[in-house]
Amino acid sequence: MNAPAGLDLASIPERIQSEVQRAIQRSIKGVEYFASSGPSLGSTPKDILAVRGTMNLYHYRPIADEIYRVPILIVMATTNRGYILDMVPGQSFIEFLLKRGYDVYMLDWTAPKPEEKSLRMEDYVLDFIPDCVRRVQQDCGETDVTVIGYCFGGVLSLLYGSIFNDGPMKNLICFTTPVDFREMKLFSNFSDRRYFDVDRLVDSVGNMPPEMILSSFDMLRPASRVTGQIQLWDNIWNDEFVKSYRMFDRWANDILPLAGEYFRTITKDLMWDNKLYNDTMTVGGRAANIADIKVPILHAVAEHDHIVPYDAAKHLITKVGSTDKEEVMLKGGHVSLVAGPNAIKRLWPKLDNWLGKRST
Amino acid sequence: MADKGNDPAVIWQTMIGEMEKGFNSFANQAMASPEFSKVMNQVGGVTAGAQKQLGEMMEKYLVSMNLPSRAQLVGMAERIQAIEGQLNEIKALLHQVHHNSLAPEGGYGAPRPPRTKRPPPEGEKK
Repeated sequence: MNAPAGLDLASIPERIQSEVQRAIQRSIKGVEYFASSGPSLGSTPKDILAVRGTMNLYHYRPIADEIYRVPILIVMATTNRGYILDMVPGQSFIEFLLKRGYDVYMLDWTAPKPEEKSLRMEDYVLDFIPDCVRRVQQDCGETDVTVIGYCFGGVLSLLYGSIFNDGPMKNLICFTTPVDFREMKLFSNFSDRRYFDVDRLVDSVGNMPPEMILSSFDMLRPASRVTGQIQLWDNIWNDEFVKSYRMFDRWANDILPLAGEYFRTITKDLMWDNKLYNDTMTVGGRAANIADIKVPILHAVAEHDHIVPYDAAKHLITKVGSTDKEEVMLKGGHVSLVAGPNAIKRLWPKLDNWLGKRST
Repeated sequence: MADKGNDPAVIWQTMIGEMEKGFNSFANQAMASPEFSKVMNQVGGVTAGAQKQLGEMMEKYLVSMNLPSRAQLVGMAERIQAIEGQLNEIKALLHQVHHNSLAPEGGYGAPRPPRTKRPPPEGEKK
């Protein structure tokens, strides 16, 4: 009997041997997996400049001999932890920026306490961000600050930049930032105003529980958690794969609750009334129109982003008032855009190239 | 070398990938309907209410057993975190005032690099 076309019979024993070895490795590494903790994340040396409720401001210790004049303030998404940008040495965006000579600060969030359920959008946009910008200015002695916002941190940065459009923000970089919330179709459907009683929910639970937020993220790709487990088992012999899986899995499950009032505003103003896109957004009674942003802006979007689809993000660059503006679409998804091997070779060098000449 | 198309491991991985895509796509279509939203929010509302009631009952039970609830432990952890934060602020102030050798290497009070960096010329490899 002839072998099927393309099948090399001589390679079969080698293949079987390799599979047997992998099966043995799977058993050994499988036990190791459950017996060991994951890699230590977010370990780039930093100092805590301020802690105020849910707000945490860090300063990463510079490692270059000479740094750019303009410091960077990274504004994290309020649902996620900042260590996605500081995974492990060699895979840390923060470490990359420090090595390239930037002075880096991060506004990161901790879980709002039950008594912080009354935090409103204005507390984030008119208080926490300006407070951090002031502290950055005081700490480094510079007036100008570059703001980088990731996902909803980008939305907060846009709102801040729209209201405080006369400074001190010098540059704005947004990663995967939605503007047209109608285009986040599944989230939009989950929060359909005919069926989703946000007032009742917030009034009964206070802060939005992280389990509910995690479930809504998981529902966007319901099969992926199961297939992720299958892929983990398949590759458990591969230390690099396992390390990467553990890092991203830990981060993806480490969701923060959202302050109740803040969530109510997100639902009503952004999801229901799409005010950011319609240029009718206000924060604490102050108009927040992104056309008022005039500073240089870079928006990085991901080709296969299932959380913030391109249609939801594409209007940012057309709507801002800046003349120096650029959108860059890179291969990858919502997370792999900013962290992991794709980010190391695509986004990070692009960002350095864009920002370096605007940081002097 | 064996053709990749006949490699069972590659076939398996491709199959898993395709199944994932297919199921996600199918589920996304189903979840995009208003009916789904209606049912999800009805169930979600009931579940959230039930969870809250259960949480309150558990809290009463734990109080009667003289045990701390999860919320109390989280509260304690956060108070410790706040104390740590305040200690850090005090440490920062002390270092700012003294500028002495107690400062950790590269940390508070340590001299910072000059802010004179210029971007490398266009086309230069870094």
